[in-house]
Amino acid sequence: MRPENYQAVQLGDSNEYEIFIGPNHPGIEGNYAFRLLLDGDTIVKGTADAGYLHRGFEKLMEGRLWIQNLALVPRICVPDPAPMEVVYSMAVEEIMGIEAPRRAQWIRVMQLELSRVAAHLFTFGGHAATTGMYTPMFWGVADRDLVLDLFEEFTGGRVYSIYNIPGGVRRELPDGFLQKLSHLLDYLESRQNDYDNLLFTNQVFVKRAKNTGTLSKKDALELGVTGPNLRACGLEFDIRKNDPYLVYDELDFEIPTQQHGDAYSRILVRRDELFQSIKILRQVIEKLPSIDGPIRTTIPNPLSWNVKTGEAYARVESSKGELAYYVVSNGKDKPYRVHVRGPSSMHAVQTLEHLAKGARLEDVAQIMFSLDACPPEVDR
Amino acid sequence: MNKHKSIDEILKKVNDVKILHKRERRIRVDVAADSLTTVLELLKGQASFVHLSAISCVDWIDDGEFELVYHVWSYEENCLVSVHTRIDREKAKFVSVYDLYKPADFFERDIYEMYGVFFIGSPRMEKFILTEWHGIPPMLKDFDSESYVQNTFNWTEYNPDWLQELEQQGGGIAIKPEEIRLSGELHNMSTHRERDKKKKQDNVKGWKS
Repeated sequence: MRPENYQAVQLGDSNEYEIFIGPNHPGIEGNYAFRLLLDGDTIVKGTADAGYLHRGFEKLMEGRLWIQNLALVPRICVPDPAPMEVVYSMAVEEIMGIEAPRRAQWIRVMQLELSRVAAHLFTFGGHAATTGMYTPMFWGVADRDLVLDLFEEFTGGRVYSIYNIPGGVRRELPDGFLQKLSHLLDYLESRQNDYDNLLFTNQVFVKRAKNTGTLSKKDALELGVTGPNLRACGLEFDIRKNDPYLVYDELDFEIPTQQHGDAYSRILVRRDELFQSIKILRQVIEKLPSIDGPIRTTIPNPLSWNVKTGEAYARVESSKGELAYYVVSNGKDKPYRVHVRGPSSMHAVQTLEHLAKGARLEDVAQIMFSLDACPPEVDR
Repeated sequence: MNKHKSIDEILKKVNDVKILHKRERRIRVDVAADSLTTVLELLKGQASFVHLSAISCVDWIDDGEFELVYHVWSYEENCLVSVHTRIDREKAKFVSVYDLYKPADFFERDIYEMYGVFFIGSPRMEKFILTEWHGIPPMLKDFDSESYVQNTFNWTEYNPDWLQELEQQGGGIAIKPEEIRLSGELHNMSTHRERDKKKKQDNVKGWKS
């Protein structure tokens, strides 16, 4: 809502007052407002206010060719764009009844995991910054930049790679790329102690994060929470394991969980996931050279491509949770309907409102960032 | 191994249910609108489908219907069931499933805003994303973004001297202002289809030349 259209609430004799947080504030990776009703510094009620990043992607996609939409979808979530293009491609492939070649599937796994590493590094930094610790923020952004350098090298784009197409990936890996990736993984592992000392075991951070924004397992399931936020409540569930896609069923990795469901558990789950992603990437480095074959199947001319009538619901585990696309085709050269189910649409609205109740004003930013919500997924 | 009875067995008592096993872990269920809540209740209560992944709405304007798709997931069965139902496009009213699934709050509000389908019993049937929007729900197929833009905003041609000089030398903007998609000729055509057809013809010409 635009500020000039907002009518202040008259609260009569009560001690309660209203505060508008956002749309620009440290608690979130985009523009997203949160309206608070406070009594002292305790929150009585929080109301999410979205719409600042609405660009009408779903409508735009209905007016563009199947192949053109690949340039649109990554923009729905800036910190973690790779899963968007992969899940869109998977949905179209399912409707078409084609399958990406094995080599393309391995490359996609590499892209997804690299994106997850980048997104988690970004979240560590952001979460730390909401508690007043700015060094991890700079570290996180700087280390993420190294991952982006790799993205630039193998896809051509630092943030939005637009690397996938239905039926495979666009380009072969450049020479010596896997060696560079291996160096980066060595470097990230060598940073583990630094991050642990400065952030994950630092009492300044731990005391702020523990018991903040606690979510019980029951509430998490009721509110449709997914991804790391759900695993922080103790449920061992990961779409990569339980609804496997690409070649995840051939990979060896664990699902990290925590029991308390508070902000600290959530960041610990992300920390452990980062190292599981590194483990997966090591397996990719080992296996990818031995997998020969094409990187994409033959598809019709993309400029006059009529995808056959059908519908598909494809989902992947993004760094934020369950990301799904419902795609409907009526046999034309453009999608009839694309519905984007972003994980943040559950986390940033109902879950956030639920957690804010009874919390203190100074913790709001931290609760928001610990949920790792991405507002454009809500607005689309 | 399945801990619960199979979906076919659970849903066999409901009238007019079509069950399609699309592939591993994906089941499509087609059901009449008045049996939808029964199906979801059975799925949640007897087969542990506790997670509402999404509610999708599709506007089938030629059939005069909205299709509502409820995607539910079971953490125990590891299976996704998509329950499809169709409602009348003119009435555009349906019953909320908020009592069964709390995330329905978000999805139903989104559909109300984007398609104008009113969900009876949903807690927050109000504007959320498009608070300043007063037109028809924009995701409807009869809402044409292009003519809305044409009627709402004033377009000015951007053709400064320095750009003209560049263009004389063969550089500058590749598409001339009169050739861009919002040209007068396209705007005068009444339906989307006519415009699409015209654009396609232009495209073909472009490719050939």
